Amino acid sequence: MGRRLKSVWVYHVDAGSCNGCDIEVLDVLSPYYDLERLGVKVVPNPRHADALFITGPLTRQTRIALKKAYEAMPPKPRIVVAVGTCASSGGIFYNSYALYNTSPQRGRDRLRSGGPEMIVPIDMYIPGCPPSPEEILYGVAQLLGIKEKKMKGEYWIALPPKETPSKENEVEFRIPDRPIPLRYWLTLREELRRVIGYYDREAVLNDFIELVDRAFKESPENPREKLHDLVTGYFLKEKDSRVKVAMRFLENEFWRLYDEYHSLGEALRKKYPVTAGV
Amino acid sequence: MAESLSYTEKLKKWNRFEVEKFSKKAPVTTPYPFIDIEKPPEYRGIPHINPEKCIGCGACVNACPPDALILEWDKKRGVKRLTFNAARCIRCHRCVEVCPTGAMEPTNIFEIATDNKEDLVEVVEHKLAYCEECGEYLDFTERQIEYVKAILPKEIIDMYALEDRIGLTQEAKMRKTVEKLRETEGNAYPAFILVKKGGEE
Repeated sequence: MGRRLKSVWVYHVDAGSCNGCDIEVLDVLSPYYDLERLGVKVVPNPRHADALFITGPLTRQTRIALKKAYEAMPPKPRIVVAVGTCASSGGIFYNSYALYNTSPQRGRDRLRSGGPEMIVPIDMYIPGCPPSPEEILYGVAQLLGIKEKKMKGEYWIALPPKETPSKENEVEFRIPDRPIPLRYWLTLREELRRVIGYYDREAVLNDFIELVDRAFKESPENPREKLHDLVTGYFLKEKDSRVKVAMRFLENEFWRLYDEYHSLGEALRKKYPVTAGV
Repeated sequence: MAESLSYTEKLKKWNRFEVEKFSKKAPVTTPYPFIDIEKPPEYRGIPHINPEKCIGCGACVNACPPDALILEWDKKRGVKRLTFNAARCIRCHRCVEVCPTGAMEPTNIFEIATDNKEDLVEVVEHKLAYCEECGEYLDFTERQIEYVKAILPKEIIDMYALEDRIGLTQEAKMRKTVEKLRETEGNAYPAFILVKKGGEE
């Protein structure tokens, strides 16, 4: 969109949407987000409209309705905005029997097709499931020339270990250094997901690893008691009870793993002596 | 909270534009498209692949409900491509949950509307491991092998002689096992007739 558009009138079409995106389009028109101050007005007739807001993955039943609405629009600006992930690419319904998909591809290539772009050309994609009102505002603002495009496609070449990058898009491999072995870290991280969820777990686990490091450095003879003291000391500073529960859980889980790897490992080694290569 | 901040800390850092600009009299309507704003820290924006940590295992591909992530093998060139399509992503962050290296990073980016769908695609190309005995590429990448070596304790790697065997195809591994058995047991099992790769006995 090179030139600046003014006062775009919009007709909203539901092409088989789950109503999530429709409600967000309604939110954009509410006083807080107020799309109408940008000159955008929702009109009840496609003959008055400059732009089309499409939500939904284009089911077979809505195909003719969408085509009729598109053809009824005046031919000059005829802007089409796809609101939502479904309208951008078919979204989560991409392989449903109910969708209209003319793509000749089958199998994995079919994953890249779907949505209203099967029958109408689209000028602006606003992905999101559903897109929040700010996202729709950003898409419209970009159409009107207020905001700039920020996304850029990327192609990285992940180099094998121990190779240094020579080109711009080549990236070398790095496993972060941690004071506990990687297998402990992986198991604790996976167990922690069930206690505290994915959002906070990296931060909590990093704190716990630091405490373990300190416990083993400060008293190598009795790290168990030292770690218990350190975790209890951590409780005094932390106010979030979720984090407290997670820290106590991590402490128990860490010693369980430690015992398992040490005592069970010894027993296994006795039972199955070294059979290298077979 | 040390390295990365917890939710409460992140929320304190989030500067809402109303508080910053209009401390007492905030207007009803957001001034958004004319200023820059930031979404709250727990907002689920599109995830991003960190190519430094990614090993190309495909755990995220198995977890992704709308197939926004695709894994392709190109055995002739010996590469494996992980493609992330943000136009298909529903921001459930299941990939962030399951990633074993933390390569899938959650963001709170929301300004992703675009007029060209190619802007939304992110590709990471991995190099496949090569089996020199068979002259074929394996299914997994060299980074995956390195990660497995980092996970397993040294005793187990020694016990099963993984250092030599991990970069082989399944067929070469079986062949090696039979050869080893023949050496140690000395033709005790006449049923094992070893067929060389050219087809001769």
